[in-house]
Amino acid sequence: MIMKQFRFEPLAQASYLIGCPRAKEAVIIDPIDDMGAESYVLEAADLGLTITGVFETHIHADYISCARELAEMNDVPHYLDESAANLVKYDYTSFTDGQVFEIGGVRITTIHTPGHTPEHTSFVITDTARSDEPWCVLTGDALFVGDVGRPDLLLGDQALDVMDEATRAETLYRSVKDKLFALPDHVEVYPCHYGGSTCGGVNMSGKAASTIAFEKRFNLAMRKETPAEFAAFVKETAKPFPDDYARIKSYNLGLISKDQITEAAV
Amino acid sequence: MKPSEVQDAVATGAVVLDMRPPKPFAKEHVPGAVNFQFNRADLAERAEMSLPHDLTYLIHAEPDPIAKVAMGILSKAGFHVEGYLEGGLKQWKAEGLPTEALPLLTVDELKDALDRYRVVDTRESFEFRFGHIPGSTCLEWTEPWAAMEAVESDKPLALVCGDQVRSAYVASVMQRAKMDAALVFGGMVDWLERGYPVEKSPKKTKAPSP
Amino acid sequence: MADIKEDVVLDARNLLCPMPVVKAGKQIRSLTNGQILKILATDRGSIADFPAWADDTGNELLEWHEEDGTFVFYVRKVEEED
Repeated sequence: MIMKQFRFEPLAQASYLIGCPRAKEAVIIDPIDDMGAESYVLEAADLGLTITGVFETHIHADYISCARELAEMNDVPHYLDESAANLVKYDYTSFTDGQVFEIGGVRITTIHTPGHTPEHTSFVITDTARSDEPWCVLTGDALFVGDVGRPDLLLGDQALDVMDEATRAETLYRSVKDKLFALPDHVEVYPCHYGGSTCGGVNMSGKAASTIAFEKRFNLAMRKETPAEFAAFVKETAKPFPDDYARIKSYNLGLISKDQITEAAV
Repeated sequence: MKPSEVQDAVATGAVVLDMRPPKPFAKEHVPGAVNFQFNRADLAERAEMSLPHDLTYLIHAEPDPIAKVAMGILSKAGFHVEGYLEGGLKQWKAEGLPTEALPLLTVDELKDALDRYRVVDTRESFEFRFGHIPGSTCLEWTEPWAAMEAVESDKPLALVCGDQVRSAYVASVMQRAKMDAALVFGGMVDWLERGYPVEKSPKKTKAPSP
Repeated sequence: MADIKEDVVLDARNLLCPMPVVKAGKQIRSLTNGQILKILATDRGSIADFPAWADDTGNELLEWHEEDGTFVFYVRKVEEED
């Protein structure tokens, strides 16, 4: 298995290339426009891999996604959870909870982990060349290293998102506790953000990788025993909202064009 | 460049360099295109070893960012590159332009029909000497196109190399010259894996030192 | 798997044929007689290329195997006799 984490430091965002050297295929997860679709194309080419799909854990609000562009450029599917269909204004290829994708010997299994957003999905990675047990999980903005995703973005705009804050917080708590923490302890955790990112709280580590075991023991938010305590803790430790999040999300939903993102707010 | 612009350039003698891997190239390509697989790490070196310097090239690589990088690398290496086919083969076909295919053979198919082909081995001569398909001749992939085009045969040609990268290049140059050429996919690696017979040639003896 | 201890490693992964052999030819010049060069390559053509190269140059191909898409070759340098 080939796995490469790309870190865009100005937004503390991590995207991934996961591929099989035997099948010479790879998929890209959560590509960021700041790095440019071309850079992913070249990374895959340098590794002798053909991009066969572009996945996103969720519709992002803190950075401009180039998933659509990357998928179109390579004539491959752009994958999002089926529940995103109510939200996005463009065509994409949907996956369901627990769907399995095979990229040569690499298996990607989806786990629906809503809370940060309703369509949010984590991806469990298994390298069947080594074992049938899961090896890593890409947790998007649900679980961070040392922290969790924020459940309070875009609450006001019910057209963009569903659930009230309390429901979202509880849903997120359950997603992490019941689904992600149910994975074997050895499973490595790879998030979509780290360090200074405003997608989570102040306890987010600058290290962009961890394990389920470590997070179970030392993730302060997840050590809370009830959803209510969790919600309160997350609120206390929240950071300022990401810049331009409403407009960025609108672009990622296909509601506005790229130029409109930077237009001065009315 | 738009497909029509590429067509015009080809009419004035430019050569389309199709930088996709051999398999999609063989399936279909711009008529007369020469296959030269893109690989950022060693493109310049491989091009230096074999591509004629006196031609004007048009790049076909997919997706577009690869074509742009290829243009940069080849231009820097001193090759004259006029542009690249924007949108690749999809765009070419969308404008109703024709494509051609390069016949493919597996080693099994070749083995069964060995007497019907003239097998040309495009590897270095020392690789050929070490073990080649019985009856095959050596034409190194670094030879000038004129040498490739001068190969005479009463039978269709079957090109081999280690796997199929070098042989696809030579096969495409021959196809461009309207020769009857086919690509043996899997090459000598597959042939050896099957345990098919190989011939060895005597090793070159070193000239005695003065 | 052979328990060979290499002296120098040449990473020729993601190079297209015939580059792994070309690079090996250059690299082995810097080894002394008897030293072992380990070459990593992903190009499938290498399987046919390296035995032929070893035979041609007089170097000894000790062993090769595949590991998760990468081909690993161990070559012992044999210095030409003057």
